[in-house]
Amino acid sequence: MVPPPHGGRLGGEAGTREFGWSMPRGWWTRRPHYFWYIVREFTSLPLALWLLWLLVEIRRAQDGPTGYHPHSSLGFVIFSVIVLLFALYHSVTFLSLAGAILHFNVADRPIPSQLIVLSQFGAWAAASAVVGFVLIYFGRT
Amino acid sequence: MTAPKRITIKATRFDPDKDEKPRLQSYEIPFGDESMVVLDALNYIKGHVDGSLSYRWSCRMGICGSCGMMVDGVPKLTCNAFLRDYWPRPITVEPLNNFPVIRDLVIDMGDFMEKLKSIKPWIIRKQPVPLGGGAFVQTTAQIDEFRQFSQCINCMLCYAACPVYGLNDEFLGPAAIALARRYNLDSRDEGVGRRLPVIADPEGVWECSFVGECSVVCPKGVDPAKAIQQTKLDTTMRFVLPFGNRD
Repeated sequence: MVPPPHGGRLGGEAGTREFGWSMPRGWWTRRPHYFWYIVREFTSLPLALWLLWLLVEIRRAQDGPTGYHPHSSLGFVIFSVIVLLFALYHSVTFLSLAGAILHFNVADRPIPSQLIVLSQFGAWAAASAVVGFVLIYFGRT
Repeated sequence: MTAPKRITIKATRFDPDKDEKPRLQSYEIPFGDESMVVLDALNYIKGHVDGSLSYRWSCRMGICGSCGMMVDGVPKLTCNAFLRDYWPRPITVEPLNNFPVIRDLVIDMGDFMEKLKSIKPWIIRKQPVPLGGGAFVQTTAQIDEFRQFSQCINCMLCYAACPVYGLNDEFLGPAAIALARRYNLDSRDEGVGRRLPVIADPEGVWECSFVGECSVVCPKGVDPAKAIQQTKLDTTMRFVLPFGNRD
């Protein structure tokens, strides 16, 4: 059962008074759609933290091999795996919405949204392959 | 003969002259007809149990958009919410979320009406065409560009479903932006530049964080979330591309 949502307050004078709306705490737990929206938004936070750490590592790399000591503790590896899962979830949800955002016409006919979504996933796979190749090929020692 | 089925309706009651806050009141009513909808139940309560219950309704057929309420926490047109989908559980009927309550199930829609007006939902021409100037001719393809966004019945379910509007009522909101897009895509219209200050405002399309629930609850399949995201892209292109601000 959904509890009464109104946590607002009375406003105005008698006879014209209204009960104002106030968003209840925990509103995002009331519907699955809201919950997964918050999860989607939240995943960007650890991702940002991980990228901040990457910037620190890049700054250290400027000092050459002697100053470069990438974090390799078990805790950081676990954190990185979790961040990877978050990044995948964020990317999949974001790219799945591309069909609603992009709108193209070819020969006066709109391109189906499924095709747009597929093209986004294709571009993502291609970009990942290029980055993977560059890292592996040029990372050989 | 078996006794007719009964169902419990828990409806919000709020008298601004007496009550400090809304409360739920239960009504048990007969449910003998499988085609009964929540609006029928409210009409039964008003006609046979408690004539003081206040709510809006008009057409009973999903056209007027008047009877939108929260049914078990979900924004719905009560004329399209069948009791059989809830029975034997009790049904909670509340005023639409995110709006001030005037009385019982009646919300104050003033803010929505102001927002609707602000996007100038009519065809704007730079040079007025005289009545004798002939018809505006449109192809089917040109109509298809905006047809979906013209199906909105202003029922405000999308506003009740939008947590962004619930947290910040300065947000222009889903239906108003969808309607703005409807006119901006209309080949007869030349008013994009006049709507832009409202829709490209930080409290316009950019306030939306794409929850998407507005499109889920829309009873007419309008997809306001799509309208908002496409408008974001369009306004960005107008800003970035050379000659992008041409009308």
